[in-house]
Amino acid sequence: MAALGSFVLLATFVVASYALAASVAGGRRRSRALIESGVGAFYMTAALMAVASGVIVHAFVTGNYAIKYVQRYSDSAQPLAYKITSYWGGLDGSIMFWVLLLSVFGSIAVATNRERHRELIPWVVAIIAATEMFFIFIMVVHNNPFDTFIAASPADGKGLNPLLQNFYMAIHPPSLYTGFVAMTIPYAFGMAALITGHLDDAWLRAVRRWTMIGWLFLTFGLTLGMLWAYEELGWGGFWGWDPVENAGLLPWFTATAFLHSVMVQERRGMLRVWNVTLVITTFFLTIFGTFMTRSGVVQSVHAFGEDRWLATLFTVFMVLIVTFSFGWVIYRLPLLKSRHELDSWASREAAFLANNWILLFSAFFVLFATMFPTLSEAVRGQRLTVGPPFFNLWMRPIGLILLVLTGIAPLLAWRKSTLTNLIYQFTWPVAATMVTGAAVYALGIRVWSSGLCFALCAFVGATIVQEFIRGAQVRQGASGADILTALIGLVGRQRRRYGGYIVHLGIVLMFLGFAGQGYKQHEENLRLRPGESATVGRFTVRHDGIGVTNDEQKQMITGHVTVSSGGRQIAQMAPARWFFAKHEDQPTTEVAIRRSVGEDVYVVLAAYEVESQIGIYAVTVNPLVNWIWLGFGILAIGTGIALLPERAFALAGVKVPDAAVTTTLLLLILLLPAVAGAQTVVPKSELRKQLEGDVMCTCGGCKAPMNNCPMGPACHGLKEQSEKLDRFIAQGMTREQIRAAFVADHGGQDVLAAPIDEGFNKLAWALPYVAGATGAALVGVAARRWTRRRDPAPDALPAPAPIDDALRARLDDELRDLD
Amino acid sequence: MRSKALKIALTCAVLAAALGGLMYTTLSDGTEYYIHVDEVMQDRAAWEGKRLQLHGFVADLRQRPNSLDYRFNVQFNGKVITADYTGVVPDTFKNESEVVLKGKLHGSGFVVEPNGVMAKCPSKYNAQTVRTAGS
Repeated sequence: MAALGSFVLLATFVVASYALAASVAGGRRRSRALIESGVGAFYMTAALMAVASGVIVHAFVTGNYAIKYVQRYSDSAQPLAYKITSYWGGLDGSIMFWVLLLSVFGSIAVATNRERHRELIPWVVAIIAATEMFFIFIMVVHNNPFDTFIAASPADGKGLNPLLQNFYMAIHPPSLYTGFVAMTIPYAFGMAALITGHLDDAWLRAVRRWTMIGWLFLTFGLTLGMLWAYEELGWGGFWGWDPVENAGLLPWFTATAFLHSVMVQERRGMLRVWNVTLVITTFFLTIFGTFMTRSGVVQSVHAFGEDRWLATLFTVFMVLIVTFSFGWVIYRLPLLKSRHELDSWASREAAFLANNWILLFSAFFVLFATMFPTLSEAVRGQRLTVGPPFFNLWMRPIGLILLVLTGIAPLLAWRKSTLTNLIYQFTWPVAATMVTGAAVYALGIRVWSSGLCFALCAFVGATIVQEFIRGAQVRQGASGADILTALIGLVGRQRRRYGGYIVHLGIVLMFLGFAGQGYKQHEENLRLRPGESATVGRFTVRHDGIGVTNDEQKQMITGHVTVSSGGRQIAQMAPARWFFAKHEDQPTTEVAIRRSVGEDVYVVLAAYEVESQIGIYAVTVNPLVNWIWLGFGILAIGTGIALLPERAFALAGVKVPDAAVTTTLLLLILLLPAVAGAQTVVPKSELRKQLEGDVMCTCGGCKAPMNNCPMGPACHGLKEQSEKLDRFIAQGMTREQIRAAFVADHGGQDVLAAPIDEGFNKLAWALPYVAGATGAALVGVAARRWTRRRDPAPDALPAPAPIDDALRARLDDELRDLD
Repeated sequence: MRSKALKIALTCAVLAAALGGLMYTTLSDGTEYYIHVDEVMQDRAAWEGKRLQLHGFVADLRQRPNSLDYRFNVQFNGKVITADYTGVVPDTFKNESEVVLKGKLHGSGFVVEPNGVMAKCPSKYNAQTVRTAGS
């Protein structure tokens, strides 16, 4: 099986290089046939990566510990879900997962833009295929997830670190990867536009959506990282400016900048060089982030190993990206001239420009500070580090300025805002700021950054509310509907604009949470005997005792705590430390959090003494943290609205290319092995599993034991036997007793599958392999079909057909280029 | 056109200089020397009083009963220094774990700041760093 995986990886490399070569040749010669075959090969890489992923997931699920990667990141006791997520749990697998995502996203992007942006497609395919090749190359020569043990293979795996066995860690990395990988698509389109010289705004339309999707996943991944740090690590905070966190933040800054400046180009034809640069920078930073976190260049609290070889490979790749990309930008500079100039600083484009500069500055600041230890070592030979205080010192004011711009920019007019206009727009928001500022001062908050942040949140909030109300009023006047209908209609009509406002609202809420962290935080370490209590902030914490319990996987030491406020008991909390079998020396902290809108009480069991029942707790009061998570929810809704297709229900009516349907079907077929494997691990007792192999199904047609009846769960005989089996098991009978009972019940030995033969088991195990082989065969057939030219003479037009929508859109695009 | 380019260039230069200067001044307050135990022990006097991030492996970890006071040795490349810390330690803090400690040299030992213990997180990507302890 491992050999199959390695082979598929190699095959993917070959197919990707063919896609690259065919596309470049096709693009240069303008040969439709070559381009089509390149696209076909490109779809093939996605299918092949799905096969490879199927193989590794299968290996995890069935516990094939002969494969080193599987042995290192999973064990047989792990729940099924974590076995599957172990796929991207380590370096080798995460690279493979990267390629899988890239090939799938690439295929979707190519399939959806094939007609509209025909001239760009070969170059898009070439760029993405080249990126895929880089990552596959790393896997094939250095980090092959399918490497096997040469000598005897271990009987069980080492198991995933218990700290990483939780829900957030299962979804946080893939979310970040998704964001990272999605940024490759805009880059590919941007480069294709540069190479072909089709530098009108068409390519922007193709990539805007992808940038938004990537941005959403990046934000999601970053938020999940914060949530994980907050709930699992137990240090009371959520962001520590660790290099690994920063690596995810860097492309987030530039992607955010791009999402804004793209509007300026669409509206005013300005900032064309800037936009293309942002797209390139964002892509570069995703690769750089990967490089930084995997190669050991930067010291981090995450223990990444040093890997000089990987570092060298990445460096070469990054140098290539920079030279290639900016080489093209410089070559195309004459085509990238702005159509307009900045008219006034009191204009929306100027505000967007300022926002872009600050975001870019943030990216470079974070990059600089993260790389500072490495830089200082290179320059001065002495490793100097900067800590969170330095980051906070700079990022606080930067964040506040960005927050102000979030409020100001959308209210300014394009080109130039008049004074009347400014007064009309800003009276209420400024009033709201003043009132909030005064209130915050009156409440006794004296931390300037937090106080200012609250006031500015009010400002931005007021601008957004004002936009909604004014928009709805206008619409109400025009349509005569009630205000709610008008609001919904408003958002529906201008999804990008109002979706954007909702995103801003989410950001404001997140800022509330950040500000809360700044202005007040009570932190106490308490050592308490049973019955003793102590005060933290406005809360009283009483220690009731220490409990010790066990379950199959771990031993749990739990501290029992009662929290009260103002003499009233408000919560019973149970912070704990868990000692997982195999990882006893490394207990995990189970934080207890009492959540509320205003503040969280956050209790960690730091140490304990079982005999004397003394508990040592770290108690933190965290104000407003929950607004961060809530803010993200709102932000996601806003992005969703902005992402909705332009025409209502257009999504359902989108013409899906038949190739895409085939690919999807293929993917489903390829997933079968994983599913087939998975089914054998459905939580059934060992006894039941054994008996299902022992007892025949009685439907008469299958002549197979219960676990192998081809009729499946719908089979009447199987159902009958299954119920009987359940009944016997429930009576507490042993395996032999149950077998005897079946024979007695049935009146003959033939109800047993005896002699119990390995053959059946083998057959059961062979099923996924057969499914896998079928999938592979289908890939081959599909590959042949796709690479064959389907329409023999594209020039010979069929009978004049009515102009369809795609064609009309293309015509529009081309007409627009004329002006 | 020329004068416009000049203006832009000048503005950029002034901004860059201002930001650079500001960054330089704030940087000198915020930096800490990142250093391994053996490097400190080579020239102790030179590091006295400076804010350090000390990198090494924990050994001989002791905790005063009924308290959060820890005393332990930090070693790297055969050199050892004694460190004191009071407070809550991370889950991964134990003998042989790789740590980075924030603090200052004090007398014969090293005093760790509150919350100054960073044990390397268990990484998914490379778990063997802990096992090579002492190497």
